[in-house]
Amino acid sequence: MKNQGKSSLGRMIIGKYGNLIGLVVLIALTTILTNGMFFTQRNLINVLRQVSVNGILAVGMTLVIITGGIDLSVGSVVALTGIIAALLQPQGTVAAIALTMVAGAVIGGCNGFFVTKFRIPSFIITLGMMTIARGLALVFSKGEAISGLNDNFLAISESYISPFISLTVFGFICFLAVFIYFKERKSSGYERKLITFNFIGVLNILFIAAAAAVLVWLIGFRGMPAGVAVFLGIAFLGAYTLNQTRFGRYVYAIGGNEEASRLSGINVKAVKLLVFLIMGVLAAVSGMVLAARLNSGVPTSGVMFELDAIASVVIGGTSLSGGYGSVGGSIIGAFIIGTLNNGMQLLHIDPFYQEIAKGVIIIGAVLMDRKKK
Amino acid sequence: MENPVILETKNITKDFPGVRALDSVSFQLKKGEVLGLVGENGAGKSTLMKIFSGAYPANTYDGEISIEGKRCIFNSPKDSQKAGIAIIYQELNLIPELTVAENIFLAREPTVGKTGVIDRKKLFIQTKDLLDRINIPISSQEQIKNLSIGKQQMVEIAKALSYNAKILILDEPTSALTEQEVEVLLKMIDSLRARGVSMIYISHKLDEIFKITDSVTVMRDGKTVSSRRTPELGRQEMVALMVGRNIEDMYPKKEAGISDVILEVRGLFVDHPFLAGEKVVKDVSFKVRRGEIVGISGLMGSGRSELVTSIFGAFPAHSSGEIYIGGKRVKISCPHEAINYGLGLVTEDRKLFGLVLGMEVGENITLSCLEKLSWHQIIIRRREGELVNKYMSALRVKARSSETVVNTLSGGNQQKVVIAKWLATNPKVLLLDEPTRGVDVAAKAEIYQLMTNLAGEGIGIVMVSSDLPEVVSMSDRILIMHEGSMVKELQKNEATQEKIMFYATGGK
Repeated sequence: MKNQGKSSLGRMIIGKYGNLIGLVVLIALTTILTNGMFFTQRNLINVLRQVSVNGILAVGMTLVIITGGIDLSVGSVVALTGIIAALLQPQGTVAAIALTMVAGAVIGGCNGFFVTKFRIPSFIITLGMMTIARGLALVFSKGEAISGLNDNFLAISESYISPFISLTVFGFICFLAVFIYFKERKSSGYERKLITFNFIGVLNILFIAAAAAVLVWLIGFRGMPAGVAVFLGIAFLGAYTLNQTRFGRYVYAIGGNEEASRLSGINVKAVKLLVFLIMGVLAAVSGMVLAARLNSGVPTSGVMFELDAIASVVIGGTSLSGGYGSVGGSIIGAFIIGTLNNGMQLLHIDPFYQEIAKGVIIIGAVLMDRKKK
Repeated sequence: MENPVILETKNITKDFPGVRALDSVSFQLKKGEVLGLVGENGAGKSTLMKIFSGAYPANTYDGEISIEGKRCIFNSPKDSQKAGIAIIYQELNLIPELTVAENIFLAREPTVGKTGVIDRKKLFIQTKDLLDRINIPISSQEQIKNLSIGKQQMVEIAKALSYNAKILILDEPTSALTEQEVEVLLKMIDSLRARGVSMIYISHKLDEIFKITDSVTVMRDGKTVSSRRTPELGRQEMVALMVGRNIEDMYPKKEAGISDVILEVRGLFVDHPFLAGEKVVKDVSFKVRRGEIVGISGLMGSGRSELVTSIFGAFPAHSSGEIYIGGKRVKISCPHEAINYGLGLVTEDRKLFGLVLGMEVGENITLSCLEKLSWHQIIIRRREGELVNKYMSALRVKARSSETVVNTLSGGNQQKVVIAKWLATNPKVLLLDEPTRGVDVAAKAEIYQLMTNLAGEGIGIVMVSSDLPEVVSMSDRILIMHEGSMVKELQKNEATQEKIMFYATGGK
């Protein structure tokens, strides 16, 4: 027992923080290799904006994968909803945004309906939907990019929220998070006497504080890019939903043991359907952020986005067999992929090699995950 | 005409953590005989069979096995197979998409020279020879999925014999067969005996034991308590040998104030999960009163579990019948509705159906009652924590904390978590399916105490159990099922283990 203590503490840290430590090392390495070019306000904001599109998808994908499913259609849905949003521009920005989200909900709802009603594996249904959505994007756009979006639509990605407002909102959210965290600790009703637990608690706070500090520094530059704010808001909501709501609890339970969940009185079909529907809505949001950034709806955009989202979730430690995982992990996963992409661009590494490197990282992350179990 | 001994064990002792599964078992099988092996669930039959099959390697138990006088050491199923032992399990191990021939010669198909290409002609001819030799009327080219369970079993037997098995062990071979198929199987066993194959026939169905076996060995609590020629043994005596143990005072059953009927079931039918048109529960009706513990006894496969699970609304499309709760007719079409009507179901297999093993103790306890712990969708942690603590201490769940992952708990504590989950829903009726299976003695006693307390609080309890002492001691009334029908109701004062076994095995 005694000599186990040390190694199990090490393993615990690696197990819980492996991906986070990986991200920190990756950032440090990239910064060194680029002579500090990576770690500048301008570039980091760029990274944040690049991560946002994938990050929004990764939040939804986390829910889907925790229930034991998968959604391969999101990349195509990003393109399709981008087109829909572009076509709806004449109806006004608010209508365009609302209707595009409805479209995403319908597509996600379809996925969920077929998965739950006919008990077809989500892999198959969403594979079909991937092709259908891509086809629809090409049909609606006649194969051409649709440009000329409203200025206030572009604002959802391109505008900056002023530093003052950003910092106020950010501070408020931090306060709320700390409040919930401590309230939960207190009410769980037992003391954590073990040093290891305290140690991990300290690490937790350290990491979060560092991330917050970097964010504040970046906001100080020009304010918060709107697209990034959308992403962070969705991430916060996703994490909150998974951890604090009944729906979130059921998502974990279904992924862990669907039959036991059903016999415990959970409406398994409704929860699964809702998860796919949420994924559809988030894909639509991601599609609009991307369209705003590109200033056009592009029918060929979003290719392989589903794989980046899945990779983020998996790197973040969520189990592909369901029942286990977190939004926080997926966001770290999204940042690992984003940092990798950006770093390799800065280093002028051939894009072909970038693909290879990304693949190696994904496999490596999963191997590490296996080992820890 | 005493035959020589073919398989013999001396003083086999096998321990599991905390339990002695086999206690110096000595056992003999004679050449060319069919030996019936009987005993209650948990008597040690399957453990002994796993030792014969090599599933438990020789270094994990004490004692020796010999075949035809020669000492054998089985370190793997392969060793046992080489020594001439073959086991036909309850669950068949055939590949449905392949043909009979391909299944029988799986992994040792005749090939054309050394090319690795299967010589299909030779394969089918060899199979046909084999099947003809033992009179099995099945085409060697038929796909397994097109065969009935009975025929599939014959293919398994043929496969075993193709390995030149001298000793055939049949584990509950008739549990999934229709009556005609049983007849055919028994005939086949007869003809195999005539060919000199020695067989161990494990079954709960005493009729079959009397019909087919030459001798009977009775196991109880990990020991062989009797080995005799079948004709020398009466049915009553055999049952007495199977259950004969003293009931210690671990059963705190007290007379609770039994009052009005809380649950009534009328004319319940449940479809067989695989066989179209067949029913696993046939026209069952019964009543449960407040404060009453109703025991449901019967053999495995008698429809006990299906009965309680269908009351709980687990398979609404496959059951029919009327359910009344507190005198009112209700329609339960999913577990969620059952919970709202005040039912709770502790399932037989807690790992598959009772718990989310990867989740924390607390999360499992509150899974069925989160609605009342939440403000709209948001779980109120304080309320959840209080409730979890309350039930963890009330049931004395031994876990480091409520955040311990349930998977790491012992069987008894896992079972307490399942029970806690249902108590947290404030049920009016608790359906308990094998509430103490795989639970150690201490936790068992605690669960019995809890059941007594709950009955005292006016909850109606239905307890399905194969553990006869438990049924006899804990129930106010015992309903006995046999092949899907409720065949007998015994009051507490007239119930004995022997009587239950008698009716459960089809006695009239």
